[in-house]
Amino acid sequence: MTERWFPDDMPMPAANAETVGWWEAAADHRLVVQRCTACGRTRHPPGPVCPRCRSSASEWSALSGTGTVYTYAVVRQAFIPSLQDRVPYIVIAVDLDGASGARMVSNLVDVEPEEVSVGMAVEVAWEDMGPELALPRFRPGPRR
Amino acid sequence: MVAPVTAGGRAACVVGVGETRYAKWGGITDASEYQLATQAVLAAIADAGMTPDDVDGLASFAEDRNEATFMAADLGLPELRYASLSWLPGGGGACAAVANAAMAVESGAAEAVVVYRSLCQGQFRRFGRGPGNIAARAGPPRVPHVRRATSLLEANVAFTMPFGVFGPPIAYSMVLRRHMHRFGTTAEQMGHVAVTMRAHAARNPRAVMGDRPMTMDDYLASRMVSEPFRLFDCCLENDGACAVLVTTAERAADSAQRPVALLGAAQGTLQGFGFGQYSNVGMPDDDYASGGSRGVAARLWARSGVGPGDVDVAQIYDHFTGLVLLSLEDFGFCPRGEGGPYAASGALAWPDGALPTNTHGGSLSEAYIHGLNHVVEGVRQLRGQSTCQVAGAETCLVTSAAGVPTSALVLGVR
Repeated sequence: MTERWFPDDMPMPAANAETVGWWEAAADHRLVVQRCTACGRTRHPPGPVCPRCRSSASEWSALSGTGTVYTYAVVRQAFIPSLQDRVPYIVIAVDLDGASGARMVSNLVDVEPEEVSVGMAVEVAWEDMGPELALPRFRPGPRR
Repeated sequence: MVAPVTAGGRAACVVGVGETRYAKWGGITDASEYQLATQAVLAAIADAGMTPDDVDGLASFAEDRNEATFMAADLGLPELRYASLSWLPGGGGACAAVANAAMAVESGAAEAVVVYRSLCQGQFRRFGRGPGNIAARAGPPRVPHVRRATSLLEANVAFTMPFGVFGPPIAYSMVLRRHMHRFGTTAEQMGHVAVTMRAHAARNPRAVMGDRPMTMDDYLASRMVSEPFRLFDCCLENDGACAVLVTTAERAADSAQRPVALLGAAQGTLQGFGFGQYSNVGMPDDDYASGGSRGVAARLWARSGVGPGDVDVAQIYDHFTGLVLLSLEDFGFCPRGEGGPYAASGALAWPDGALPTNTHGGSLSEAYIHGLNHVVEGVRQLRGQSTCQVAGAETCLVTSAAGVPTSALVLGVR
């Protein structure tokens, strides 16, 4: 994307010790998921302990960036004034290939609201918000 | 409540309810949110025929701005012996706060505990705008960056808010979209909830929307906020406060009002639910496309010794119409996926529906006081004092917010 998709006064993400690695990877346009190195389970949002095996050991596992729409909303109300000319926008929960149980929330771009559907194939599209912040949006992906 | 058979004279009862006036967002300017809280607490004490000298406990839930410690001092309570704040977020904790009060009196930790909630959204930031309000302040352009989180919640919602998930309407419209996809739930079915609550409010002089009748056409014509939610799928934003007083059966015997028993209570959340679908979306499909109250419901029915078929009237948390449908499923009033057809059958309507629900008008039409007003209405029903009175009502289900860690009560008469 060349054009910025949301205005500058959107809420900026806040990170803690458990999540900052995800944001650092995102700044480099790497979509990752936290994976337990003891049992292999993926989880999102990132946390300090594996909820399955309770190991504290984890790694950032690279994802292909493809997935499918699990559910979505078409937001038509501008909750902050600067969104007035950006509505409607589409929020999705996306099932990412290679990260079972680690669904993520994002936006679907380059598509009309009438065209979005549950199960739609999508692929990541990075938006640079600043030198140290990039957000993974999604656009319709190759049909599978 | 905790041990309904053995608690005997210490079994918890609700003997007082109190409210301030309810007004639209910003409608109360002559009293602070905190002062309203004190007014509601005093009203509940007076309703019980007690005085502040009889009260030794205070309870609330979910980041209450009006701390019990200060309130105890300002109300001149002789001694504060019990104070608690439930961890359950948002509207999930109203029933839990009542249950915590009940556990306090049954254990002997306190004799009389007042549970309170005051919510003047006009005096504080509007729900659903989140940090956007701060971000939108005038000032030099900011370079977008990652901030240091000051709470676990902030670090978690960082994975939703920068994507324009500004508040509950967006997060829960996604849940309803999934429910529609799986079960064919429709806008008209959600509309039945909105229209029915509004009809109940028309009989309630306290209701903020009591003079604003709504037809199904009105509902369908209301503007889209976050599809599939329209404006009329969303609860009110308003100013007001309410409170309930919990004490022992022994003390209740002297009460000015008919005591209402707590037949059962439960609280909690499903595995991996976090803050609910507002923060976590990776749970199994059966949990995501639900109110997340299944576990609370199972424990509630087991502890109270009654089931959905025994309930005469229900007060079901209605932050959004669609989540009422999910609660009806979670609590077993209809099979999974059939909350929509159940509501559309007229089941929720007073007086003839199978399950008259939100007989005060609910958060959609009476007032949004984080569901503590649903407890108040449940008590009124069992006293025979509702403006939509269910004849001979003896058992009332009260639920707190679906979609977040939550709680529920069964109120009854003994």
